[in-house]
Amino acid sequence: MTTIFYTEPELVLGHGREVLFLNPNDLQIFKNIEVPADLTTCGLKIEATDEGEPKATCGSNLEVSILNVCYSPDRQLIALTTVGQKALLLYKSRPEHAMLLSVRALSRASSALAFAADSSSVLVTDKTGDCYQYDCVEVEAPPKLLLGHLSIVYDLVWTPDLKHIITCDRDDKIRVTNYPATHDIHSYCLGHKEFVSGLALLPGNDDLLISISGDKTLRLWKYLTGKEVLQQQLPAPAVRLQMRELIESKRYLLAVLFYDHVEAIGLYELELKKDAWSIAKESLVRAEAGSWNITNFALTSDRIYVAGAVNERLTLRVYNSADGKEAESVPEGWLDMVMENFAEQRCVPEDLSVWFKKRYDNISEYMERKKRRIEDQQQNQK
Amino acid sequence: MVANSKESETVTGASAVTGLPQKRFYRQRAHSNPIADHSFNYPARPEDVDWRSLYPSMGDDQQVQFADIGCGYGGFLVTLGEMFPEKLAIGMEIRVKVSDYVIDRIAALRLKNANEKTTYQNIACIRTNAMKYLPNYFQKSQLEKMFFLYPDPHFKRAKHKWRIINQALLSEYAYVLRKGGLVYTMTDVEDLHTWIVSHMTQHPLFERLSDEEANADPITPKLYQSSEEGAKVVRNKGEHFLAIFRRI
Repeated sequence: MTTIFYTEPELVLGHGREVLFLNPNDLQIFKNIEVPADLTTCGLKIEATDEGEPKATCGSNLEVSILNVCYSPDRQLIALTTVGQKALLLYKSRPEHAMLLSVRALSRASSALAFAADSSSVLVTDKTGDCYQYDCVEVEAPPKLLLGHLSIVYDLVWTPDLKHIITCDRDDKIRVTNYPATHDIHSYCLGHKEFVSGLALLPGNDDLLISISGDKTLRLWKYLTGKEVLQQQLPAPAVRLQMRELIESKRYLLAVLFYDHVEAIGLYELELKKDAWSIAKESLVRAEAGSWNITNFALTSDRIYVAGAVNERLTLRVYNSADGKEAESVPEGWLDMVMENFAEQRCVPEDLSVWFKKRYDNISEYMERKKRRIEDQQQNQK
Repeated sequence: MVANSKESETVTGASAVTGLPQKRFYRQRAHSNPIADHSFNYPARPEDVDWRSLYPSMGDDQQVQFADIGCGYGGFLVTLGEMFPEKLAIGMEIRVKVSDYVIDRIAALRLKNANEKTTYQNIACIRTNAMKYLPNYFQKSQLEKMFFLYPDPHFKRAKHKWRIINQALLSEYAYVLRKGGLVYTMTDVEDLHTWIVSHMTQHPLFERLSDEEANADPITPKLYQSSEEGAKVVRNKGEHFLAIFRRI
């Protein structure tokens, strides 16, 4: 999976076994992380099962590759998760170069990653819907299971006051869990009719939550009561969400990556006017959709960085957020420099069609047989 | 949206003697994968549930307060309806034929007892996956009692996450239950009983009722008799294990 996000002044791009911390306006690479090909060499302990055999999943021949990357809010720590050998790696980001602090085994491949606002711990969700907390002070401490969904959790956010953990899953649900009393569910935000793929909190409006879904809607919620405030129709199912604050507490840019659509990305400006929220402006960015497999994207103040695969190689393209055209202000040679770093690593996009529920009919046949039985019976009675 | 009831029709295919549906047409294997996608029509939110289609004579301020999770052939659900005429009880069952049997059975009971004292207007059944969709049906703190009677034991360890009582799901049950509400569990598998008790008592929002309290509950004796699974266990002189828990 390709991770890409922007945290002023760094554009972070993670793929394969490599994470680059880039300056978008210069051919300078702030720092990089290269994950070892065999994590046992840097401290991963592969758990033995009851029979004393190493777990098949850990010892598999799959190459180690990065799934999720995340910066701690104080910028002191970097957390990343891997598959191949499933692990959570914690790095100290300063000074200068990332220093590996710990490698802890994950029982399953991660699906999302989020730090606490105070950077003291990190949450990892997995394919089966479990959410674990890993301490970042006691960096070797075993994880704590905080909560569980019945299907994969696609995204999670932790409120800045640390009081609520918000998770969304493939079963159309957004769940608001109290913290630290995570056994106590505060509320659900319900209404989506397909998987919920992305969440974002709005800085300065701490009671509001944005969600996007495979049901082709973007919604705004008062998450503590689960009440829907606004619903925006989208041209296609939504798979990834990015948010940027444009005017403090008043105006936000919401950018949505679509599933299988001719215009790859939708840009929506959410605005507060006279105590009411509305979408003030919307535009679509084509991003040459259809000619390559777009997997992820990031927003800077004026550009959209789109990552994808061309011939199984990681490719990056940059567009202006103002007009959706290819950005010409990117420094010459910058894109080549970035892609060269990933030239050795294969890029095979995830098949997102499996996110949609398979509806198989297990009723019609039974109902048809029942109807016939009843008709037969009525015939016989005549 | 969740219309299942067939009030207007007469009950066809029913036994000529009793007027009730015959179970032999509704047999189905006992296990169902609760994690897989099934073709359920489920409401997106509790506000979207059309309860009146299930309980045509319900009062405006009435809401479902009892839920029999995995109600099977509905034996206990019918008893609940008789014991608590003022309460609405819902049976939730994942298996197609079994839930269809309960739906037909309730329709037949309503038809047959339309002029009696007990009219079975207060019970209904829906086919759904209660492990996934409880919050889609019930508001926070809506339920007063939940029943888990003879749940699928899922003996294999790999399938323990399929068990209806598991750590993650208990928080959901606590969410739909009101404070002071009760969870009734009954099984004839001692291992499962031990599992249930250990998970429920570990959960900070549940406490187990003492034997004294449990025995004083008027529902307790019915739990041993009225479920079909229970009756079978009684016939076979097997043991069963009851545990009742309070939502704190």
